[in-house]
Amino acid sequence: MSQAGLAFEQAPPLGAPLRLFLIAPWFLVIAALAAIPSAGDWTAGRWTPAALGLTHLLTLGFLDTVMAGALLQMLPVLIGSPLPQVRPVAWLAYGGLGLGSPLLAAGLALGRPPLLDAGLLALAVAWLPFLVAGAVSLARAPAVAAATRAGMRHAWLGLALTVGLGLYLGGGLAGLWPLASPVEFTRLHAAWGLLGWLLMLVVGVAYQVVPMLQLTPPYPAPMTRWLASLLLALLAAYSAQTFLIEHATADLAGWLGFGAAIAWFAFATLRLQNRRRRRLPDTTLDFWRLAMACLWLAVLFAPLALFAPEPWRDPSQVVLGLVFIVGFAVSVVAGMLYKIVPFLAWFHLQAQTGARAGTIPNMKEMIPDAAARRHLMLHLAALLLVLPAPFLPAWLSAPGLLLLAASGYVLWRNLDQARRLFLQYGGRLD
Amino acid sequence: MTTEILVDARWLDPPEPMERVLDAIGRRAPGQRVRLLLHREPMPLYGMLRQMGLAHRTRPFDDGCYEILIDDAPDEVP
Repeated sequence: MSQAGLAFEQAPPLGAPLRLFLIAPWFLVIAALAAIPSAGDWTAGRWTPAALGLTHLLTLGFLDTVMAGALLQMLPVLIGSPLPQVRPVAWLAYGGLGLGSPLLAAGLALGRPPLLDAGLLALAVAWLPFLVAGAVSLARAPAVAAATRAGMRHAWLGLALTVGLGLYLGGGLAGLWPLASPVEFTRLHAAWGLLGWLLMLVVGVAYQVVPMLQLTPPYPAPMTRWLASLLLALLAAYSAQTFLIEHATADLAGWLGFGAAIAWFAFATLRLQNRRRRRLPDTTLDFWRLAMACLWLAVLFAPLALFAPEPWRDPSQVVLGLVFIVGFAVSVVAGMLYKIVPFLAWFHLQAQTGARAGTIPNMKEMIPDAAARRHLMLHLAALLLVLPAPFLPAWLSAPGLLLLAASGYVLWRNLDQARRLFLQYGGRLD
Repeated sequence: MTTEILVDARWLDPPEPMERVLDAIGRRAPGQRVRLLLHREPMPLYGMLRQMGLAHRTRPFDDGCYEILIDDAPDEVP
């Protein structure tokens, strides 16, 4: 009996990932709304309490919540190895991220140790079982889709280090223990979180889902063989450099190395998408293209954020964070959701009811492309308005942030429509 | 009656390949097999086939596509 043959029986019920997908957009809404009154603070620099709080609402609350939900399904579907104990793991991730993200963000923004303590505890409850189950799944995974499996294994390491460093730094801020080298460990926490976990997972998953969902040729073999390992080696080198050499030199080396790797991936993805088999309009594809364009923008803009003279550097770093997190990561995650959720809703409905083709809504009916496109337009407009905010008077960021909040609401409504159709046709969430 | 139903689902948008192959499985006569051609390996399908008590054999092609032969599982297979 092959591992792959187990995939369907051990895949989690639809409710497990869907619950995570349905709370995530609300953190985008909350982050955007909370950023309006605090615009005078977060636009000034990435180390401000408001910027730290908002960053964690976006990364933990939105991105990680979706990524955790997606992994519950992707491990069985993409690499044929389900998570053990997937139901309790999913519930703990749901409760832990749902409570921990806003508590930690509020603790960071307001500087309140009790909120930090509670947030860290909830996040540990979410991530530690997830990491253990993920390790078992990845260790058992068969050698099919080896490039994706390698990317996911590296991403697991990135997540483990990000969580470990985050708990260490958060505990230190909350006064639980003295912090040694807080600046260095914060640099590593951000690098492993954004590049070692987020980007690494996107790379590993892209090898499978871009050809599968966008009907493109496969990624070039040198990329699938080397890119994830190259990123890992770069992260290891960057981590060592952070402690051994001057930060500006480590940043220059990091920019050259990561910049080349990221530009390579974004270029290859855009090139594949240009060679896709079907040339119909597709909102998922446009979200991906926007994400890849933002990766390029991040690489080109990074020198300003890293090496510009003092008055320019702080706002530039905020812009770089916005390009990477809102421009790249939120776009790619939204694009994925518009494929994953309709597919899962259709797939579970099909499996549960055994319906013949044509008697249940197909993927395109679960979330119509026009509804997803409305989200894309709002997201793009919000991004264009918010990106220059750190260089403008604070009140000018409000229109873009309101649009960003609206985009989060539209995303939730679109995903919820798939849930409602699924239930209407007799699907069971658990 | 032919001995197999061919489902050429290469380069169709998901989930059309799965819709087509499940449709073919539903209308096949006893003893008839389904030959699915696909541009990737259909991991989610395998579990469904097992649940339906069907056997499958997968063969990769040089161009990156796959042939999946689906028929009744022999009795001795657990």
